Amino acid sequence: MNLLLALAIGGLFGTGVHQLLRRSVVRSAIGLVILSNAMNLLLLTTGAYDGAVAAYATLQGTHSDALPQALILTAIVISMGGFSFVLALLLLLSARHRSDDIDRFTELRH
Amino acid sequence: MNGHLAILPFLLPLAGSGVTLLLARRRALQGAVALGLLLAGLLSSAALLREIWETGRPVVFQMGAWPAPHGITFAADLLSATFATLAGAVFAAGGLYAWGSRDDAVRAQPAFFPLFLMLAAGLSGAFLSGDLFHLFVCTELIVISGAALTAASGGAGPEAAFKYFYISLVAGLGLLIACGAFYAAYGTLNLADLAARIAARPEQPLAAVAAVFLLVYALGKCAGVPFHFWQPDFHAAASTPVSAMLSSVIVKLGVYVLLRCGGLFLPLAGGPFRAVVLAVGVAGVAVGSLGAIGTRHAKRMLAYSTLAQVGLMLVAIAWGSHGALAAAVVLAVNHALVKSALLMIAGAMAGRAPGHSAAFDALRGLGAALPAAGALFLLGGLALAGVPPMNGFIGKWLLFRSGAGEERFLVLALLAAAGGLSLVYTVRAYQLVWWTPRGGGSGASPAGDSFAAPALLVAACVALGVFAEPLLRLADGAAADILRPDALVRPPPPPGGAP
Repeated sequence: MNLLLALAIGGLFGTGVHQLLRRSVVRSAIGLVILSNAMNLLLLTTGAYDGAVAAYATLQGTHSDALPQALILTAIVISMGGFSFVLALLLLLSARHRSDDIDRFTELRH
Repeated sequence: MNGHLAILPFLLPLAGSGVTLLLARRRALQGAVALGLLLAGLLSSAALLREIWETGRPVVFQMGAWPAPHGITFAADLLSATFATLAGAVFAAGGLYAWGSRDDAVRAQPAFFPLFLMLAAGLSGAFLSGDLFHLFVCTELIVISGAALTAASGGAGPEAAFKYFYISLVAGLGLLIACGAFYAAYGTLNLADLAARIAARPEQPLAAVAAVFLLVYALGKCAGVPFHFWQPDFHAAASTPVSAMLSSVIVKLGVYVLLRCGGLFLPLAGGPFRAVVLAVGVAGVAVGSLGAIGTRHAKRMLAYSTLAQVGLMLVAIAWGSHGALAAAVVLAVNHALVKSALLMIAGAMAGRAPGHSAAFDALRGLGAALPAAGALFLLGGLALAGVPPMNGFIGKWLLFRSGAGEERFLVLALLAAAGGLSLVYTVRAYQLVWWTPRGGGSGASPAGDSFAAPALLVAACVALGVFAEPLLRLADGAAADILRPDALVRPPPPPGGAP
């Protein structure tokens, strides 16, 4: 399980960073989503699988850690809000410049 | 009751954000309520600071009475309360400026005040946070509301917001990695708890990773040099009240995190941490000063000068002695007040210029009818350069004294040269706008934004320069708080039963 998670996190991280650095802003936004998912998996490995019993349940056995789950939930909500804002900005900018190439976004050049 | 003081500076603007959204159709009332709540936030953080100063103990509040290491902690000691009060003061002035602003990006935008209050809430919450993950949440609150405000500024606003938002999101992911790595290594995210556990076992393998990402996050937030490219572009595009907040107090979030968490992860990073921060600081001073000299745009000039001033604070943090840390606090307070005042003056002048441009070509000679604004700008420029009667001098003097005490003359010479350059560029801007005759340009409008808010801020700069002792004693206490991270908020141990 641990090896699988480690490989998944590494793969997602690599893909995410690679996509983030693309010149196409749409691909780079997709890279952002992949990166944030890599991050959520990373948080998950910090203790959510310590035990098989749900946290706060009155059952016997090792309880799983509730804190990473709360962290991930918060991170998911935040990244969803942020990502929808990025998409709205992209829609506006790509319509304005008729391109998704970051090099065409030149309003800030001096 | 007293514990609740620690959340009021966060709660008041946050509640106000919702209330002003409901008042979106009644614009006059919306502005008044927003300003009132920003003032209330300032008063509550000042009361918090006074409480801590008088009792000598930090104020701690556990959200929902969940016990310490797992529940969300709000913790205020002298350092965080000083920064929260500073944020409250600058945001109240920004609210005052926005209230009377004639800029369409402010006046015609029903979501302006709700977002502005959310920006204020995020910043106070980040300063008062006693928990690393809560710091992340507040950071995202700042980033999203700041980017939305910029995107609504019209013109190049969406592009600047895109740039700012991307860089900030990636910096935020850095903090999230640090959270995950710290939690995996030490099983806690409470700052006080974390400090104690790190001091006990500094050799955890993941801990160094966490420290590096925390450093990247903080440098990204304070626009340290390899992470600074969004800064000048952003300020040329954002509306004045927004850029005045982002270049003054919001960049202080990175400085605050380095001050607060410096004590936390110094056992992990030690010498390399100091070397990196010193290099980034010196590079910031050089790039910022030269960039400010080279630009032909008033807001860009002030944004570059922010890089240089933050560089000074980073140098002080890297030196890390008691005197240098106190200097960093004094510099942070001074710079936030001065820079917000100068950006508001530049914005108010740009509002009177043809095309509302802040380029020097558009501003040339525009100040002839406004000598009082010129006097304010000059006073602010002198404070920025650190000329003696003004408050900027106090911070630089502290920094130079602590640097000279340890014989770091090479860096000091560079800092002194940068101070000279800042005098050159602010006085040059003053001459261009207020002394040069206007060369037949038309389209200037006589009416524009009020100078009341920057006048109040400049008055605060003069007052802190002449009566510097309270601030000095405060900075002294704050530096002492930084150097004893274990004496920081050490919350009572949980009564047991927490998972």
